[in-house]
Amino acid sequence: MLNFLDINERALNGPIMSEKEFDMKVFVPRLKSVTDDYGIRYDKDNPVPSDDKAADNLFEAAVDFMSQVGVYCKDTNRIIQFKRDEILEVLKGAPGRCLAGEGKEAGVFGMRRPDEQKHPWFHVGSGIVASSEEIATNLIEGYASIAESNSISISALDSIRGISVMAGSPAEFYAAIRGIKIGLEAIKRAGRPGLPIMNLISTSASALTAIAASAPQFGLRPTDGWLCGTIAEMKIDFGVMTKVAYLLSSGANVGAETAPILGGYCGGPAGTAVVSTAYILMGLLVHKGNYQLSFPVHFRYGCSTTRDVLWAVSASCQAASRNVPMPVIWLGYMASGLSTKMYFYEAAAWLLCAVTSGAPSVQTPHPAKAVKIDGITPMEAKFGVEMGIAAAKLTREEASERVIRLLEKYESQIPTAPEGDRYQDCYNVVTGKPNELYVRLYNEVKEELAGMGIAFEK
Amino acid sequence: MEKKEILEKLSTAVIEGDKNLARESAQNALRAGINPLEAIDKGLSKGTEVVGAQFESGESYLPELIMAADTFNAAMEILKPAIEANKQQVRKEGIVLIATVKGDLHEIGKNIVATVMETNGFEVVDIGIDQQTLSIIEAAEKNKADIIALSSLMTTTMPYQKEVIEVLDDMKLRDKYIVLVGGGPVSQKWADEINANGYGETAIDAVALAKNLLNNRKQTVAMD
Repeated sequence: MLNFLDINERALNGPIMSEKEFDMKVFVPRLKSVTDDYGIRYDKDNPVPSDDKAADNLFEAAVDFMSQVGVYCKDTNRIIQFKRDEILEVLKGAPGRCLAGEGKEAGVFGMRRPDEQKHPWFHVGSGIVASSEEIATNLIEGYASIAESNSISISALDSIRGISVMAGSPAEFYAAIRGIKIGLEAIKRAGRPGLPIMNLISTSASALTAIAASAPQFGLRPTDGWLCGTIAEMKIDFGVMTKVAYLLSSGANVGAETAPILGGYCGGPAGTAVVSTAYILMGLLVHKGNYQLSFPVHFRYGCSTTRDVLWAVSASCQAASRNVPMPVIWLGYMASGLSTKMYFYEAAAWLLCAVTSGAPSVQTPHPAKAVKIDGITPMEAKFGVEMGIAAAKLTREEASERVIRLLEKYESQIPTAPEGDRYQDCYNVVTGKPNELYVRLYNEVKEELAGMGIAFEK
Repeated sequence: MEKKEILEKLSTAVIEGDKNLARESAQNALRAGINPLEAIDKGLSKGTEVVGAQFESGESYLPELIMAADTFNAAMEILKPAIEANKQQVRKEGIVLIATVKGDLHEIGKNIVATVMETNGFEVVDIGIDQQTLSIIEAAEKNKADIIALSSLMTTTMPYQKEVIEVLDDMKLRDKYIVLVGGGPVSQKWADEINANGYGETAIDAVALAKNLLNNRKQTVAMD
């Protein structure tokens, strides 16, 4: 089995070429040929396909694609290559589970299959920037107070002592350790100190800060989870690789973070589905990941709820859930912001799609493309869990029909989606409770969705 | 071969990303005595218009855009010497220096903007991702850029867009450049706050904005 130093070695010895050559002479033409050879076809009329054979065929296409393309290392301008046999060997040896959390919150984040009624692992919250420590604390306490949450993401901070957090600066480090402290305090306040935080380290863009703030004296535990990114598409650099080396050596949970972009080098939905599946192979092969965070997005709208992205999510989620023993957290970015009806329509469609397609885990759908400061509340997290439970009762076929009805409600509004409110507009910052207006909207939408055949728990 | 057919083939070559056809048609254009500037305007540029429209409507994606731009450039290698020999000049919208700011490794959004700019008549100098403020400014100076376009996909790298503008101010170079900002968390509000000249939500917006701002600048200079 290849260890991480073997990967490092391949990054030093693989075929050398410019980045543009990799993009346009390797990635793009081989993606096209694999997509054509395997007959991967987008079906706009069926956002949640139900064909197991097609899912397995997509997996085979992704293995072929990975063995033909590899992963480009930006620091050495070389390609880390894998033979088909090596890919299959890694899959054979993958445990298909991640142990996360401590004490009574310790859990096994494992696999699910399409149409399986088992609840997904509920990963709750987001790393969306909070403008104050008070809001960050309220958010995290709110996420941890949702009984069904299995793990959480904590907010990033955008300043420390009034100094803007700039990537790679010392302020980033101070904000990172402050953010960790807030997160740990808030989960204690919710009575769940062992709850795993799995988006570490939210306030750190640079590998240096992430490694520094992960030192044990700042309170993180190996049973939390660290996100180690990839560079779209199919690229990595020494910064991320060094972070992975550090985490592997300290026995911490490594989360491979990937976000294929529909409309970018992946081309359309069929190509995006192949790359999205191949990324999960990459998570095992390159990152040696214990889990993965995957969030395909649309290049123009920055969201995951266009019809073509939903299809790509469903197809790749099925391909991976059936064939790749890697627990993946699937995350969606919504075009619209919080306290809008459109947010709930989008979130419902996305969750129906991911949960019935066998997502091992789903994360709280992020409002307003995850870029609005204070643009999330615990209410969306609650919805994510309730909707996820309801979705698990449905089959892919039943989900597809409901997703089509939801698309009718919001699809045309994606280009002009409302950016919605902020936490402080919908919640009392002191008490951490939602205002009446937002509660009313929430209940109204749930009632409407129930009328569409979505069975929420009583 | 008739002039009309040659021009159509130039356009088709760009649409299909066929560099061989582009080179061959460019040579045929010169052999047939077609003014190379006309070959660009009525042949190659027509092709980029079609690809641009397909991109806008979601029928084609970034790879097709890049292939169109590369094909355009392949034909230009044949046409350029003839243009220079005629002492003519290719009409250029302006020079754009584009980069993703320090600490930020996201490049696809920037690449899309760069390619759409290029296929719309701008000369684009793309210096890549994770670029230091001074490197960006030095590159803008060296390449005599009209526009500095800055991409940022993270809230923690957005302040570097601000830094570029502040350093331009400090170096008394601010008025020399149109500074455009873009990227996921970037907004018009942010652009106003940091005194950028404009914000483009999409690549197409960025092109329209760049053209408008350059035209306004040219008119102002003419009035002065």
